[in-house]
Order: sequence, then C-alpha cells, then structure tokens
Amino acid sequence: MDITRRKFLELSTKMAAMMGLGATAIPKIAEAMEQLSAGNAPVLWLQGQSCSGCSVSLLNSEEPGPAQILTGYISLLFHSTISASTGDVSMQVLNSSIDHGGYLLVVEGSVPAGMPEACVVGGELFTKQLLRAARNAKAVIAVGTCATFGGIPAAENNPTGAESVPDFLKKNGISKPLIRIPGCPAHPDWIVGTLVHVLKFGIPQLDKKGRPKMFFSKLIHDQCPRFADYERENFAKTFSEDGCLFMLGCLGPLTHADCTLRLWNSGTNSCIKAGAPCIGCASEDFAASASVPFYRKTTLSTEE
Amino acid sequence: MSTTVKIDPLTRIEGHLAIRIEVESNRVINAFSSGEMFRGFETILKGRDPLDAQQITQRICGVCPISHGTASILAQETAYGVIPPKNGRLLRNLILGANFIQSHILHFYHLAALDFVDIAAITKYKGKDPVLQDLKAWVQSELSSNVLYPAAPFLPRFSGKYIQSTKLNIQGIKHYLDALDMRRLSHKMCAIFGGKVPHAATLFPGGITEKVTALKIASLKSIIKKLQVFIDNSYLADVAEIAIAFPEYFRIGKGCGNFLAYGVFPESADNSIKLFSSGVVVGGKLMAFDSAKITEDVRYSFLSSLSGLRPSDGQTVPDPHKNGAYSWIKAPRYNGTVMEVGPLARIMVDYLKGENQKVKDLVNGLLARLDKKPKDLVSTLGRHAARAIECKIIADKCVEWAEQLTPGQPAFRDFTIPESGRGMGLTEAPRGALGHWLEIRDYKISHYQCVVPTTWNCSPRDDKGNPGPAEQALAGIPIADIKNPIEATRVVRSFDPCIACAVH
Repeated sequence: MDITRRKFLELSTKMAAMMGLGATAIPKIAEAMEQLSAGNAPVLWLQGQSCSGCSVSLLNSEEPGPAQILTGYISLLFHSTISASTGDVSMQVLNSSIDHGGYLLVVEGSVPAGMPEACVVGGELFTKQLLRAARNAKAVIAVGTCATFGGIPAAENNPTGAESVPDFLKKNGISKPLIRIPGCPAHPDWIVGTLVHVLKFGIPQLDKKGRPKMFFSKLIHDQCPRFADYERENFAKTFSEDGCLFMLGCLGPLTHADCTLRLWNSGTNSCIKAGAPCIGCASEDFAASASVPFYRKTTLSTEE
Repeated sequence: MSTTVKIDPLTRIEGHLAIRIEVESNRVINAFSSGEMFRGFETILKGRDPLDAQQITQRICGVCPISHGTASILAQETAYGVIPPKNGRLLRNLILGANFIQSHILHFYHLAALDFVDIAAITKYKGKDPVLQDLKAWVQSELSSNVLYPAAPFLPRFSGKYIQSTKLNIQGIKHYLDALDMRRLSHKMCAIFGGKVPHAATLFPGGITEKVTALKIASLKSIIKKLQVFIDNSYLADVAEIAIAFPEYFRIGKGCGNFLAYGVFPESADNSIKLFSSGVVVGGKLMAFDSAKITEDVRYSFLSSLSGLRPSDGQTVPDPHKNGAYSWIKAPRYNGTVMEVGPLARIMVDYLKGENQKVKDLVNGLLARLDKKPKDLVSTLGRHAARAIECKIIADKCVEWAEQLTPGQPAFRDFTIPESGRGMGLTEAPRGALGHWLEIRDYKISHYQCVVPTTWNCSPRDDKGNPGPAEQALAGIPIADIKNPIEATRVVRSFDPCIACAVH
C-alpha cells in the first residue's frame, strides 16, 4: 500500500493548513513524509512535563509486545525510562542522534513554555532540546494528551505556562509532519498502530486536528455499550449504578476515541464498562477549565 | 582535590533526575540530588471540584497512579464521612496490590537489573529458546550493521563490572523478557476492577464503581497464580543471585538508616489494621507514627514559599531562579529528621514490630541463605530484597482478598460533598509513604498538598543542611572510574525514584 507522490502532496496540504503554515511548507512536508515511508526510521523518544504514563501504557502492548516492537519494528535510539545508557552516555546518544537526523521524534509530556526552567534534561532546557530534536526529525508524533493538547500541566491556573508540542513548535516556526495521539494515557494500540503505519505504510489518514482517523474518528458516545440506556433515558443516578452515565457528567458525547470498542489492558475493560463516566481524557479540553468538573456529583448534592 | 561528576539524566527511573557527586580518591565525599521537572499540581487543583482530585492526582505519576488516587480518596472520605463497603475495600486492595506488583517487577527487571546483568552476553547464547535465539540474532545483526547505535536502547551503557557468568546473564535476560509479560498481566489484573490502567477510572470516595462477579474473581485469581509463580521462582531467586554476585552492595548505599511507613492495605473497615503497619524507626528503635511531625523545608528548593510548614498549611510557589536552590523537590522531614521511605521502610517497621510472621519468616530465610544480618538490609541490596519479599507477600494476600469478595454485594457507598471540610489521606506507593492533604471551601478545593515517597528519598538538603536519604546513601561509596560511575547509579536506582511524583 504505497502512498503516491500525489497523496503525499494532498496530505501535506492538509497538514500545512492544520499547522497554520503557508504553501511554501507543503513540498518540504511531502518530502519528509516520502522519506519516512521508505524505510524503518529510528525513533527518538523525549519526555517533557510527563508522568511516564504513556510509556507505561506502551509497555502494555501485547501483540506485538515491547520486545518485538524494539527488535522488529523500531530502532529506539533513546528513551529515558528504558535506555541502558545513563548520564553522559545518554547525552552522547541523544546529541549524536540529533546531529545525525532522520529519526521519528516521539514526544511525551507538555512543554513549560512560560517557565523553561521547569524541565531540564542533561543540563539543557527541555524547550531548547525539543526544538533541536524537532528541527532534525523527519516527523513528530505527540503522544498523550499533555503532548498533543497540553493536558493537565497546561490546565487553568498552571504555574509553568505549559503548552502542547504542536503549539510550541508552531510558535517557533518549525514545520514537520506531525501526528497527534491523545489520551491520558494514550492506548498502546494507538501508539503502536500509528508507529507501525508510519514506518511501513506512511503517515495514516489524519483528521483536522492531526489525529489518526483509524482511532479517533468517532465519538465514544456513538460506540458506547450503554447507548441503549441513553436512548431509553435510563440514566444512572449515582456512581456504580446501571444505566447511561450522562447525568453523572460522562464526556463520551464530546470525546473522540474508540476505548469502549477497543477496550484497555488486553481487551479487559473500559472506564464506562466499569461504571465510571468518561472524563474525556483524549479530548482537546481535557481538564482545561477549573470550573468544568469531571463529574456532576457536587451539583446533584447541592441541588437536592 | 575533588572532581565533580554529573549523572544527568539519571535514566531508568521515572522522570527527570540529575545526580551530582564530588569524588575524591575514588570515593564520593558529597552528593546532590536534583529533581528537574515541575508541573504545579497543587496549584492546578485549587478551585476545582473535590471529585476531580482522584483523577487529576493519578496523573502525577504513570507508574503509581493508583496510590495517588487512593491517597486522594482517603483524604476525601475523611472530609465526607463515608467508608466503603467490604467489597469496596477489598477491590481497592486488589487494584492497588496489582499495581504494586507491576511496579516492583518493572523496577527490578526493566529499570535496575541492567546495572548488573550483562545484556551483551546474549551473543554467547547456545540454547534453543526461540525468543532468546531471536534476540541473539537481532543483537548480532545490529552489531554487524552500520547503524549509529546498534542494539539501542540496550547499548551503549556504562562500562563496569557486570555479572561474569554467561548462564546467569542469559537467565537475567530471559527473565527481563518474561517480566515484560508479567507486568503487563499485573496491569490487566488491575483493570479487571479498575477499568483501565495507567490512571484507573473506577476509584471513588465510597468505593469502586465496577461490579463484583464470579467470573471477574476467577479471572483475577487466574492472573495472580501466574504472577505468584514468577515472583516465587524468578524474582526472589534473581534478587538472591545478584546479592551473591555483588555482596559489597550490602555495605554500599546505606543511607540515613531512619525509616518511615504510613502503612497500607487496610484489613478492617476503619483502616486501623493494615497488611503493612505504620511506624517510625530512628536509631534502630521502632516508634509510633504521628502525622503532626511532618514538615517540609524548601531552603534548597526552587520555591519561594515558607519553609518548615506542615502539609496541611503547605505552599508551593515556584521560584526557578532562587539563589542557592538546586532542586524542584522539597525536603520533607519527620520531627526534623531525615527519613527513608519505601519497601525497606515497610519491611523494617514490620520486622521490628514482629507481629507479621510472614515478614519475619521471609526476611530471616533470605538473610540465612545469604549469611547476612538484619542490619545488612540497610543497603542497596537490602532495598531490592525488601521489595521482592513485599511483592510476594502482596501477591499471596491478593488471593485471600479475592476469595473474600462477594458477588452481587455493593462495592460502592454513596456520599455527599460538604460545603467545607478537611481530610488527610495516608497510604503507600510502591516506592514509599504517600500523603495527600485536602481542604474544601464552598464545595471547591481550597488547599491541596502532596508529600510523595521520592520527595522524602530524593530530597535535597533541609534548612539545617542535612542531606536527603539518597544523598546520604551516596556519600562514601567507591567510584572505580569517574567516567563510568555505575556504583552511584546502582545506589540511586535501589530507591526506585519517581521524579514526576516527587515534584508534582
């Protein structure tokens, strides 16, 4: 399933528009994408303001498992949680990989744009390191809601002026093919599915926000196991009750992801299946506003 | 003349840690631990709905989210006056227990073991295991290729003394791979009642939203069985092998020698009986724990807030350019004393208390096998041993908790959020004592403070200049080659640091 030059250009045009870049950026993006689909690009994984939850989630990938991914699909140059290297050896690997270029850059965590000292790696501000790494990357994949949209570190009242990776790169004039894989954490299938697609078949179809359509085109609500309860207006009145969780604040109707069908942890469960309202962890507005609670419990209690 | 050596970033831990050591005549004379990442969770929580807290605080850490969710819920339950039904308490123990197991397995095999096991030994493999043969073929093809970093991320690494025996190295590599499956299974076990992990959905004040069924109990028990086999036959055995191969690490990395545990895994409705007890060990003596004795110093932290405050009045005001500061981590102290927290602290408290027969038997058994004394536990290897012993106790206990569940009975009890209230939630994360302090005003969070395990263990100096536990553990250790300070990384990793947690 090779993507033709024309398809690359089409996709690049959309991508340039998504990133707010002019027409001059289009051929550059197309070229980078073409290169990327040609072989197994090495992967550089950087962590900014992250909790490592997306990395832990990636380790939960079952088929392929982490060892198969590392030996059969990607060449993971550096990952702070997994790499055998440490200290100066890590910085040598990081620096020479960046100088060498041609890798896929995965970023987990947000960027402390308003307080760069709030994230430092190897004595270098993460903000600088990220720009350095992004400039020489063939493409950038933002993994998790912090990296894709800012997430909790960028929520209202945050003290570090945290930003998403795409926003930060755009402000600094970096135009690269860019994919957003939101989720707090991102589902391992979303990460592995996207990586493998990029490496073997080129950049997958993306929506306007840069998310792979194969995972994020539908609302959770439209794929909800409790949808029939919603239709029949059979609403749960408190947590753990049967019925649609909408009245408890469920954000399934506003969140694009396939959790309820794909299920988490090797097909075991999902938030809604387990009786907990969706808190919209894969959405652009996740946790953004202090005045928009995850649940509607307080309101119910005070009204009663 | 001393030489300053920086280990930055100190990888194979959670998050952004920089260690600076001053080395003189191949010995560390001074050490500094710097947490290098700050997000400001306590500020972000202010003004939010209290029920947001157990979800937001889980995102402090992707390795131990369940512990943060639990601490938050315990703080809220005090404020709301609700306690979960029996099923709810048992499910919490099972969800938390499953995450302890995944965290301990991840820590030993995927984070710490590569400091001891020589992964390059796979090229000498002559056996027939197809997984190991595949790995050998991959490493060989990488090494003969012209890629920039062959066999990344497993190479390059510090040079130093790794395990010499090929057989032991191959066993270590095999178990590294097995452990990937085991920690994934632990998370699967966690999700049966947690909905998903990392960041479980079902944790609420009052209990767990998922329902108890006979099938779920059976699934859970089926997974625990596999985990028990791995912990008993591989994890405990591998810790002993490393202890035999590196006996000097029973002397290296002793640390402050004081221990603090809040206790965890309630076995009674009122939280008074726990699988692991609360307690304080100072100068080898066990004392009762008093939460009022916790304060946090910030003289050397990038914070302009007042120093020496109790968490119930604590502040977190960033000052990234503060003169003299060298870490984002605060310096918590107990009664002004430096305290180590974690599996070793929990095991020490229960060992000295002497009521938990299983702790006594397992510790004495291991010490006898290795010809060591209880005091030797206060060391790099002692931390690994305590973690493995604890992992076994938790896995065995999970079977009992699963058997006590009753299908059809509720796991959740409803509650009302008051206009104002206060709460303290004390529990344990895999890497040590964890506390959340909450205050509610006008139905919103007006105050939130977290004092986290690695805040204790990787703290900078306090206002009096006393170094933190990891800093003390580094002082005096030998460094054979300052370009490859592998001894220091072994000591620091034995604490299982989590910097996203420590700073939050």
